[in-house]
Amino acid sequence: MIRNARKDTLIAYVLIAPFVAIYGLIFVYPTIDMFILSFQDAPLITFGPQTPEWTGLDNYTRLPDDRRFGTAFWNTAYFVLLTVVPGTLVALAIAMGITRLSGRLQALVLALFFLPYILPVSVVYRIWDWTLNFQFGIAMHLFDVLGIDRVPIFKTSTWFMPAVAFVTIWWTCGFSILLFLAGLRAIPTEIYEAAELDNAGRWTVFRKLTWPLLWPITALVLTIQLILQLKIFDQVYLFSIGGRPNDNLVMVYYIYQRAFQNDDGGRAAAIAVVLFLIVIVVSVLNFQLLRLAERKT
Amino acid sequence: MKHLMGMALGATLATAAQAQETVVWWDFLSGGDGVRMKSLIEDFNAAHEGEITIDATTLEWGVPFYTKVQTSVAVGEAPDIMTYHASRIPLAVSQGVLQPITDADWEQMGLSQDDFAEATWNAVTVDGEQYAVPLDTHPIVLYYNRDLLEEAGRLNEDGTPMGLDSREGFEETLAALKDAGVEYPLASVTADGNFMYRTIYSLMGQQDGELLTDGEFLAGDNAEKLQNALSVLQEWTNNEWQSTYTDYPATVALFTSGEAGMMINGVWEVPTMKDLADEGRLFDWGAVELPIIFDHASTYADSHAFAIPANNGVDEGTAKRDAVLEVISWISENSLFWATAGHIPANSGVTASEEYSQMEPNATYSSLTENMIFDPQSEFSGVAGPMFDVMSTYFVPTLNGEMDPAEAVEEIQYELNDM
Amino acid sequence: MTSANARRFNIGGAIITIITVIAAVLWAFPIYWGIVSSFKLEDEVVRPYIELWPETPTLRHYWFALTQTQIGSWYLNSVATALGVTVLTVSTSLLVGYAISQLRFPGRRPLWWLILASFMVPTQVLIINHFVLIANMGLLNTWAGIILPQLIHPVVIIVYKQFFDQVPREFREAAVMDNASEFRILTKVYIPMNWGVTTALSIVTFIWAWNAFLWPFLAVTRTEMMTITVGITQVSDAFGVYYARQLASAVLAGFPVALAYLLFQRRVTQAITLSAGIKG
Repeated sequence: MIRNARKDTLIAYVLIAPFVAIYGLIFVYPTIDMFILSFQDAPLITFGPQTPEWTGLDNYTRLPDDRRFGTAFWNTAYFVLLTVVPGTLVALAIAMGITRLSGRLQALVLALFFLPYILPVSVVYRIWDWTLNFQFGIAMHLFDVLGIDRVPIFKTSTWFMPAVAFVTIWWTCGFSILLFLAGLRAIPTEIYEAAELDNAGRWTVFRKLTWPLLWPITALVLTIQLILQLKIFDQVYLFSIGGRPNDNLVMVYYIYQRAFQNDDGGRAAAIAVVLFLIVIVVSVLNFQLLRLAERKT
Repeated sequence: MKHLMGMALGATLATAAQAQETVVWWDFLSGGDGVRMKSLIEDFNAAHEGEITIDATTLEWGVPFYTKVQTSVAVGEAPDIMTYHASRIPLAVSQGVLQPITDADWEQMGLSQDDFAEATWNAVTVDGEQYAVPLDTHPIVLYYNRDLLEEAGRLNEDGTPMGLDSREGFEETLAALKDAGVEYPLASVTADGNFMYRTIYSLMGQQDGELLTDGEFLAGDNAEKLQNALSVLQEWTNNEWQSTYTDYPATVALFTSGEAGMMINGVWEVPTMKDLADEGRLFDWGAVELPIIFDHASTYADSHAFAIPANNGVDEGTAKRDAVLEVISWISENSLFWATAGHIPANSGVTASEEYSQMEPNATYSSLTENMIFDPQSEFSGVAGPMFDVMSTYFVPTLNGEMDPAEAVEEIQYELNDM
Repeated sequence: MTSANARRFNIGGAIITIITVIAAVLWAFPIYWGIVSSFKLEDEVVRPYIELWPETPTLRHYWFALTQTQIGSWYLNSVATALGVTVLTVSTSLLVGYAISQLRFPGRRPLWWLILASFMVPTQVLIINHFVLIANMGLLNTWAGIILPQLIHPVVIIVYKQFFDQVPREFREAAVMDNASEFRILTKVYIPMNWGVTTALSIVTFIWAWNAFLWPFLAVTRTEMMTITVGITQVSDAFGVYYARQLASAVLAGFPVALAYLLFQRRVTQAITLSAGIKG
């Protein structure tokens, strides 16, 4: 008995209806609205029937001369540089260490490394703000003991981004570790046994076997990290409280500042469009590069 | 007449009593003064049991507070009453964030222009209308640790620090403290430009400097005066006389733990010291007017005021409005207790009282009221306003020795006039 | 393999194991430090030397957080919104994943592209328009307003589609022969066969929603409607030295998710690897 296609279609539409409604409302419509808003001079919320003014490309043309935009752009790029590759390498190293362990010890060690990932960002902020506190943090006591000068980590522009990058790696590394562990487990043990018979050293085994076999996972982790870190806001916002937010601006923070602190919806939307395009271009480029790399190996 | 008015007031209160009103209150008083305000609120609630209850929340001071107010007004979710800095009122009015306090409101509260000092009254007035009810004036002062000053040999017979009358004198005190082994002769909130703004503006005032002259920022030799102020403070940092990269809580903690000899901070930390001293956990301390570093005494001050947010349904003639006005008027009348939070009450009836004139340490620094300067009245001014924002961005690097004062002034001038 | 070589391997291996274990302990130390500090008196936490254990352990900061702040409402808001996000995301994604995997209908391809596209769009850039939208709908400061914009999780759909694709065709054909309705096929065959996936996805969606910061931070202006993740950073009830008290409320905010992880460790691990497109 074969059901007719029309009935299938009807059922399918019923099944996807809630999803389509939600996506239309909170994804498609806001995306279009963002583009429209970026060509207007409009406050965040318009009181009454007052119509926003069309300003053409004004919101965009003023960006190159906008110092804060420059700060936000370069800080974001710097943050990506500080987190994506280092974070991936740290996760790989930890996964290599964990994969050697077994049983309860492995579960325990994995839990210790993974625990930060499941904590809310505000908890991560409180913990590190306290640990690295310039006056009372335990890290500073340690510095004193070691004879290193104390560093006001979250208050200098030199240390802010590296420190937030460090905390971010600590916080989100668990995710990448799990992916690497899954990848390592998928490598057949026979390959290692063969290498052992060949008397290959630890480093050679890693370089010649593990690394190439793990490359698809590594590429995946790099991609996920790259897209994630371009969108950084939470940590930068929180660690800037009581400090110098204008020096620490990143793209999403600047969108927030323009829209919610300066009530300037149009200009904020223009920045949002720029970030939107950056993320898309980076994702597409990244995707193509990875395909290229795959074909070569 | 007065009797009639009292009856009218009683009548409105009676209607309020029938339906218990909850007044949603926001403040940013998280310093030592917050504790005093909490107990005032408790007293109010006790005195109005069954009639009015204040439901109070303290939010993060500064930019977070005012951002929240702005968005909540825009979407009609604002509190019924909030504390507001008088310096920011022109900005708030231009954004449509506040409701005016009408003549009828003043009458109902039993308050009028005569109850306030002229400067305070003007600070809440824009285009002839009042937008807030002043509660206090809060200057910044110099806190000091008598024990440490004595060790350094820089304590006068009357228990005040030596060298408050000139830059040389004050720097001698700082140097002496350093020599006596005090790690931080002066604790300053050097990590947060918003707080340093007040010290720097005071030092500009000591040279008769102005930030805004006929619509131009830092016109004429005012830029130079700002640079002078920054240079002095940077020199203190370079000489290791001042705590660097210190955020607000740490500044207070450095002073109260005895690691810093002196501290420049608002009077609102007076209760922190008092409470610690009462528990026997603090050294012998005092507070005086800021030292004269330039030509004459001058101290930055601002006012806390009560404001009614726009777009929140607390309209005239509603029971809610009556309740809100009762809150303001009651707290204003009882602001003698608020003075124990260090502030100078705005209600002149209170400051004229015998009790107030006896109050310590307020009496010691009350002399400075003659030398107070306020923010320029402009929509760029005010806590967390655009001017604060621009200037504080450059204060932090300058005061911690990362940036040259001349360069900072140039950048500030450029950005301010670019707004 | 020569015995010298084997020994080299073992010693080297032992060293790596020891380093890994020490690193794990150091890695988690800040969490321990935060917790232990929250049990100290405020004077104790600012002492200029290191005390790994409180001298006089105290619960007063927890008592304060639980009785003097709105943390109770924040817990409730967090639980309600995280549950709402989880139920709505998982159920709508399940239906869509099923439709795309098992049914042929016009518009199937564009729909699949839309889902993949939403993968690339950072929701953070939509905050302004989400805010305007939710404000115009009158949903700011409500659970619905917090939940709605958090429902973009294309990953969940993709995982479901993959799993449904793997269910052997015979099951479906047999059911169709029995004249079972589509609804029955879904609820009696496909969902039960993938219970593990549903649990795993629900747990991580819950953790993500509990930890969400940016949107709940924007969508709520009234303190009693805040989620705990936002509330502990926005409201200050403190004066003087208050580090221990802040840490206590942070511990309270992190506790439920940490507990969820420790209880469902295996499921969380599975869901994370699935969400990255790796079959666990």
